[in-house]
Amino acid sequence: MSPSADTAVLRVKRLAKRYSSDGPPALVDVTFDVAEGELLAIVGPSGCGKSTLLRLMCGLLQPSEGVVLLDGEPVTRPSGKVAVVFQDYSRSLFPWLNVLRNVAFPLGRDGLSRTQRAARAGAVLEEVGLEGVGAKYPWQLSGGMQQRVAIARALASRPEVVFLDEPFASVDALTRGELQDVLLDVHAHLENRRVTIVHVTHDIDEAVYLADRVLVLTPSPGTVAASVEVGLPRPRIQTATRSALPFLDVRNELHDVIAQARR
Amino acid sequence: MSTRAVARLGEVVLGAVVFVAALATWEAWAHSAASFYFPPVSEVGREAVDVWPSADFLSAVGASLKRLAAGYAIGAAAGVAIGLAMGSSHRVRRTLGPTTEFLRALPVIAVVPIAIVLLDDGDVMRIAVIGFGVFFPVLVATVAGVRGVAPEIRDTAALLHLGTAGRTARVYLPAALPTIFAGLRTALPIGLVLVVISEFTGTGNGLGVYIWTQQFVFNAHGMYAGILFLGLLGFVLNGLFVGLERRVLAWHYEAIGESLR
Repeated sequence: MSPSADTAVLRVKRLAKRYSSDGPPALVDVTFDVAEGELLAIVGPSGCGKSTLLRLMCGLLQPSEGVVLLDGEPVTRPSGKVAVVFQDYSRSLFPWLNVLRNVAFPLGRDGLSRTQRAARAGAVLEEVGLEGVGAKYPWQLSGGMQQRVAIARALASRPEVVFLDEPFASVDALTRGELQDVLLDVHAHLENRRVTIVHVTHDIDEAVYLADRVLVLTPSPGTVAASVEVGLPRPRIQTATRSALPFLDVRNELHDVIAQARR
Repeated sequence: MSTRAVARLGEVVLGAVVFVAALATWEAWAHSAASFYFPPVSEVGREAVDVWPSADFLSAVGASLKRLAAGYAIGAAAGVAIGLAMGSSHRVRRTLGPTTEFLRALPVIAVVPIAIVLLDDGDVMRIAVIGFGVFFPVLVATVAGVRGVAPEIRDTAALLHLGTAGRTARVYLPAALPTIFAGLRTALPIGLVLVVISEFTGTGNGLGVYIWTQQFVFNAHGMYAGILFLGLLGFVLNGLFVGLERRVLAWHYEAIGESLR
């Protein structure tokens, strides 16, 4: 289901972005809503402005035209309501802090005591399957575990929306599958509360496997080519879900939409 | 013993051999020259054993170390603070850039006469000169370190809306620390040079004053004993600094898989 205006937590309206006044636009006329608790995937070819869109939505960039509304309020700068997981975990985690402190870092502004912060960070680390590594440093962990730490850090401050920018593109295929399931798990079970997830990827199969709905962007300048409901049952299971006919149908539909958008 | 350990031991032995050979050359050359101004190292050593533990010499060392510590602390603190501001803000960098570039191009020793005129010959002048010389390498390293912070780290800091002070102190400073330490290490010998130079005015107390005075009274042995002590001091200070750096930046050297040598 596409969200109606009253269930939308995030609304993107006629968004356009130009990096220079005379240059070509990176994005034009992008409009869509994201429902509370929805897991939305955004796919599109390289250079279509996926990352630009993500940076506009989380407030790291300002649009040239249009507006992003979070809970009905225009996003003009990053707020505590959003968190981002970047592709390059090795550069986004702080190497001078151990894992627990990395995860607790965003909690500094919440007025919690040191013990409360450590407890909250420890709980989130458990949610992503990282019990007992709090005292290690990020660089002592495998890539997959580092990205779990980055996910835990994003979740620690209990944001309303978590944005992920091609988060599993730099890990091997097996680890990627594991991390996809960590994300699904977190989305389904996080403290009995549903977090909204916007997941940017160029991997169509990953988008179908994870998402409630997939938004397809056209090649540059990016705009919304289609919004495809996935409609596969949850919980999703790597082997069963990916080999089911409905999975293949959605996947093929997306390939068709992307091929058409290219023309 | 592993081949690597043998190779390492070989390097240490070779280093010691070269050092001893340099001393032996000094000794032989001085004997052959037989010049009043160029005593053999053995005689300088005997003089050093007499002079170094004396109350006068130790108080000179103490006075110089106090100036070095004060000047270094002030110069380094200012370099890091202004470097953080310049590194994280285009506006500050454009505002202060031309001035700092000009002052940096001045040979530091050339500011000594200006400092004497402006501040009189004394502790304030000496500390100011040391601070001035230490400031620039630390500034340049800090600016480079902050500007080199990974975009993901910048974005993460922006997303946590820590405010300028929080972002600078809790993210940019630690992220730039490995580069800042390189600047601090470069500044250490510069500080030592400037202690001595600023003390060559010959007034008051200090290692530079001691060396200058011994030269003035034609005591070549005493002068060399002072210079030998300076070399030793620089060596020890650098060693202490490397030890500190290894502790503070342990995370960095382990993260990049390299030990500090």
